[in-house]
Amino acid sequence: MPHYKSDRAFQIVNSIIMVVISLTMLAPLINLAAVSLSTADSVKLNLVYFWPKGWNLDVYRIVFQKETLWRSLLVSIYITVTGTAASLFFNSTLAYALSRPYMPLKKTILKALIFTFVFSIPLIPYYLTIRAVHMNNTLWALIVPGALSAFYIIIMKTFFQGISKEVFEAAEVDGCSEFGSYGRIVLPLSKPVMATIGLFHAVSQWNAYFSALIFIRNKDLYPIQVVLRSLVIENKTGSAPSGIDLMLSTPEQIKAGIILFGTVPILLVYPFLQKYFVKGAMLGSLKE
Amino acid sequence: MPCRPGILASLSLCGGIDMFARMISNKKVALSLLALPGLAHLLLFSYVPLTGNIIVFQDYNLFLGIWDSKWAGLTHFIHMFTYEDFFNILRNTLLLSFYSIIFGFPAPLILALLLNEMRMMWLKRPVQTMLYLPHFLSWVIVAGIFINLLHVDGIVNRLLSAFHVGPIDFVTKPGYFRSMIVSIGIWKEVGWGMIIYLAALTGINPNLYEAAMVDGAGRWRRMWNITLPALLPAIVVLLLMRVGQVLDTNVEQVLVFLNPLVRDVGEIIDTYVYRVGLLNGQFSYTTAIGIFKSVVGFTLIVGMNQLSKRMTGESIY
Repeated sequence: MPHYKSDRAFQIVNSIIMVVISLTMLAPLINLAAVSLSTADSVKLNLVYFWPKGWNLDVYRIVFQKETLWRSLLVSIYITVTGTAASLFFNSTLAYALSRPYMPLKKTILKALIFTFVFSIPLIPYYLTIRAVHMNNTLWALIVPGALSAFYIIIMKTFFQGISKEVFEAAEVDGCSEFGSYGRIVLPLSKPVMATIGLFHAVSQWNAYFSALIFIRNKDLYPIQVVLRSLVIENKTGSAPSGIDLMLSTPEQIKAGIILFGTVPILLVYPFLQKYFVKGAMLGSLKE
Repeated sequence: MPCRPGILASLSLCGGIDMFARMISNKKVALSLLALPGLAHLLLFSYVPLTGNIIVFQDYNLFLGIWDSKWAGLTHFIHMFTYEDFFNILRNTLLLSFYSIIFGFPAPLILALLLNEMRMMWLKRPVQTMLYLPHFLSWVIVAGIFINLLHVDGIVNRLLSAFHVGPIDFVTKPGYFRSMIVSIGIWKEVGWGMIIYLAALTGINPNLYEAAMVDGAGRWRRMWNITLPALLPAIVVLLLMRVGQVLDTNVEQVLVFLNPLVRDVGEIIDTYVYRVGLLNGQFSYTTAIGIFKSVVGFTLIVGMNQLSKRMTGESIY
């Protein structure tokens, strides 16, 4: 598109607006980091904005000593990895079967899937079902029940149907069974869609706290979001901080440190996530 | 048989395996076996809970279970429609959804249009990267961040005090609850919500803009007459889908900000079912509320889908 001089003023104003809006996305995190790294006195006097006043790593000494944080971090990593594997397994096998022309009852199964998409299951019977199969208060409740998704299945199915028929025919001639073409043709050819859906599920698995809140009673099994919630939002500090700790850093600073502790894992994988997610968001617009 | 089971046949040392191999080589059987885990999952975690809705006609007791709990007929539905609590949470849910549609729906569209006008690519990339970030943070983290910003000594109150306003304790004042939830929701999802519009924008033929420019159409004219019409189907589908989900407020989002001081305005259907049903054990009564929500939601989505088909030719699901 050609550029005109009258354009320039608009470009500058528009860019400034966009930069300011995008900085508001980062500013709260920078403020937290500044608060957590400042000295207790400057925080108490409300002097800290976006740069630490003084230098104090004490918050992180306290945060890193919180055993519950580390344990819940491990729990979250565990349920994210296994939950994602479960999700890919359940969704891709069913999606593959539904993508094949010989699959019996295809229409009925698709309808049954779409129904779950538009008719949300009320919470109480869902909870009672999980209880009835003795999954409550175990990590299974966070891994398996949420693994199947009509939405993911339809995306996968559409993708699988895009693989050319000749590939399947050739495989069949070479004596490949349906299991073989699922494992050796479809899965290797669908790495992009599997990666995207896997990441979608992994992020929602990592960030979720509601299902842990309803199903998990045992504190040792709390994922990190539940622990963060009780430490930061409900102000349950667990063990009361000792006098010396409070002199070196305020409760507000410790909270800031804990929030950042919970944010860092996502920030670390963010560049990677962004790349796949933006592609994946477009996948959602795929239709049969 | 044209389809010779390859590896499995070479393994078939005894008849059993041979039979198994032949079964597997039958396409229908093999596909059904592959579909089995997913179907079992669907049955157990989606359809069994649906039959569990039967407890709405009982006085369900956790220790007696579904077989021994007493039957109660329609008591819980009658209870629901005569109980003030229900209308309060229904009102809170609808108001919260209404505000988040009014303010939250146009936000990503406007942002996408502005971003689309940016010509400086070196700036556009980092701007996009920053805009998407909050989508990936959990509601607990987001709430932690904003409680830090909004509390009495937080940055927001310090800025307000420069204008001699406040301090305002946003988190515990009922009057601010909905604005707070809606604004924070926009902060978190606006960048992400933009993506779908950006995708639609890349599909517009650049020749249209050039022709319009030759005809002397200014920036706003082009936006109004080319860009917006091109986005219209996406806008209509997304809006209808959003309206269809009017009762589906995000439970994690609201629950994390909910406290007893703001309960009157903040309690929505999902948080009420959680608190009164799961925590206080009124299973049957809150199942009635859950069924009400699902049925209304279902009707709305199906209705909106019909509307969408008629208006844009696009089906939501």
